Amino acid sequence: MQVTTWKKLLSVAVLSATTAVCSAEEVTIYGVKSLSGSFASYGKFADMGSKLAVEEYGDLLGSPVKYEAIDTEGNAGKAVRKVQEAISQDGALFFNGATLSSTALAIGKEVDKAGGVFMTPAGADELTGTDCNMATFRWSVPTYGAIHETVEPLIKAHPEWKRWYTITPQYVFGEALLENAKEVFAAQGVEHVGNSYHSLQEQEFSGYLTNAMAAKPDVLLLLNFGGQSSNALRQAVNFGLKNEMKILVAWSSGLDQLQELGPDVAEGVYFGAQYWHTVDTPMNNELVKRVREAYDMAPNYPMAADYIGTKVILDAIAKAGSTDGAAVAKALEGSVYQGPTGEETVRAADHQVLKDYYLLEGKAASEMQDEDDFAEIISSGESFPDESSLDCTRS
Amino acid sequence: MSLYLFQALNGIGLGMIYFLISVGLTIIFGLLNFVNFAHGAYYLLGSYLCFTLVSLTGNFWLALVVAPVAVAMLAWVTEKTLIRRAYHLPHTFHILITLGIALIIQELSIAVWGPIGKTVAVPEALSGVFRMGDFFYPKYRLFVILFTAVIAVGLWLLLERTRFGALVRAGSEDAETVSLLGTHIHKLFALTFALGVGLAGLAGVLAAPIRGVHPFIGPEVLGLAFVVVVIGGMGSFSGALVGGLLVGLVQSMMTTIWPQGASLMIYGAMAVVILLRPYGLFGRA
Repeated sequence: MQVTTWKKLLSVAVLSATTAVCSAEEVTIYGVKSLSGSFASYGKFADMGSKLAVEEYGDLLGSPVKYEAIDTEGNAGKAVRKVQEAISQDGALFFNGATLSSTALAIGKEVDKAGGVFMTPAGADELTGTDCNMATFRWSVPTYGAIHETVEPLIKAHPEWKRWYTITPQYVFGEALLENAKEVFAAQGVEHVGNSYHSLQEQEFSGYLTNAMAAKPDVLLLLNFGGQSSNALRQAVNFGLKNEMKILVAWSSGLDQLQELGPDVAEGVYFGAQYWHTVDTPMNNELVKRVREAYDMAPNYPMAADYIGTKVILDAIAKAGSTDGAAVAKALEGSVYQGPTGEETVRAADHQVLKDYYLLEGKAASEMQDEDDFAEIISSGESFPDESSLDCTRS
Repeated sequence: MSLYLFQALNGIGLGMIYFLISVGLTIIFGLLNFVNFAHGAYYLLGSYLCFTLVSLTGNFWLALVVAPVAVAMLAWVTEKTLIRRAYHLPHTFHILITLGIALIIQELSIAVWGPIGKTVAVPEALSGVFRMGDFFYPKYRLFVILFTAVIAVGLWLLLERTRFGALVRAGSEDAETVSLLGTHIHKLFALTFALGVGLAGLAGVLAAPIRGVHPFIGPEVLGLAFVVVVIGGMGSFSGALVGGLLVGLVQSMMTTIWPQGASLMIYGAMAVVILLRPYGLFGRA
């Protein structure tokens, strides 16, 4: 009889333990990163940022947070296929990353269909504009802010720079930057003396720079990104344009790009940036310390963007108290948190994070205080279209 | 000076760089009948060695000599251990083997130099520009044009006017007979492969201050080299020169006429040449 009682007690105990384990919902964040291919230099740092955020988070909803990286190979088609597999085979719901706008747009649609949440730093305005959806959230400032926080301050500080020339990659991102730049030129009364479009594959810019020389501008505005803007700038400096006009790279990738270019190229050049490691905010100071401890380097833009992108999803899951995608998206909407750039707000209307964008000026090698001190912040601020003028019609 | 005239001059400069990028590929194909898909990776290696040597010594001229020789020596070893076993195999095997080599070089480069690109400064003596009316042309680019012209003449003399060149050309036609006449044909082929790859390394060094160094530059360079070689004719030295100049001129002129189509028109020029002359301007059936 006593044995039977013990058996019953044991059964109850096992059942209770099993129930407790089952009620602990396991959270997995899927990092969508270009770990190979042409954008691997970006994806590697983005992956490090997401991993750091997950590692330091500890337990969430009763169990440790897991992290799985998905290598997009810098290819939107492969990225979508792998995300679809993760959704259908593993029940994946929470995604962060995607370097390329085309990849981010495609993944956003897949995650939306699955009822999940996707936080991305990608650039295309459509992410929080015409192609916005319940699942997609974007940390980076879109093209509107990138132009308004770089071109406008320079025009105001130097009204004598009246003639601007643009070099633009011909795809949605470049077109959006150019469109915004033209609006600012018109509003500020400066002359847009010409534009050269180039293809997404272009790496030789001497011909476009010759067109710019012929137009005799005061400022050369580069609207390309990544390797293309590095090559365009490097070649502009080779051609002596830095001595003839000012150069502004509206959308740089920040520290990693300046490390690549070095102070000889970057000195005196203006750069727009989503993030800079010397920004004096409590959260950024902490992030710099943690990244130094973990990786012995200063955080750069992809690392900071995917660190905070991962962290805000985890915070939202904690706030929602569940892994239900819709509940987590709801928890994210309108949330205000301390981010790397200071207080950041997730605008509910379009899922755009409202944060600062920075205008940097490259320093001479002799002015650098440490190996990462390539530039100083000369202005910063938030510029976003009013809610009334948003293209996002998500219900 | 008019914009179009300057663009034409710039196009010639670009063309000389493209010739240098592609001449090694065409020499290896023309003389060894071997398709080297690792050409861009050897270019990459030349660029990175240049970066390291300039960083360590501050001497670009040293890098200009040492880096291509180092790349050529690596090619020599690769030829002796791997490539020579594939000469008799169909081209698909050449492609597979050299693609593998390219991936190894690319991934090793990332492991050694990291994923972030590098910049190589223009040597002090060649920094600055020449002013031509409203336009400026970098002294360094002018040096590259002149240096490449000297290399082109030297290569032509080597291949057309020396015993080495005659033996290599004869060996490419009938290796067995040349071997029976007392020439070490394997050594000759290894030297030719090293020469072609060394030229890719040299192109990497010369282009580093212009294009920078990036671990994924190899496929882009390979694609461009193949366009030049296809236009000029696979295996033709003169074809590489004319093809390079044609591509440079088309690209440069189109940046003013139709900027967004400048890259596209390179391939357009290739398509036109293939339609009119399927084996390229100087190619043989």
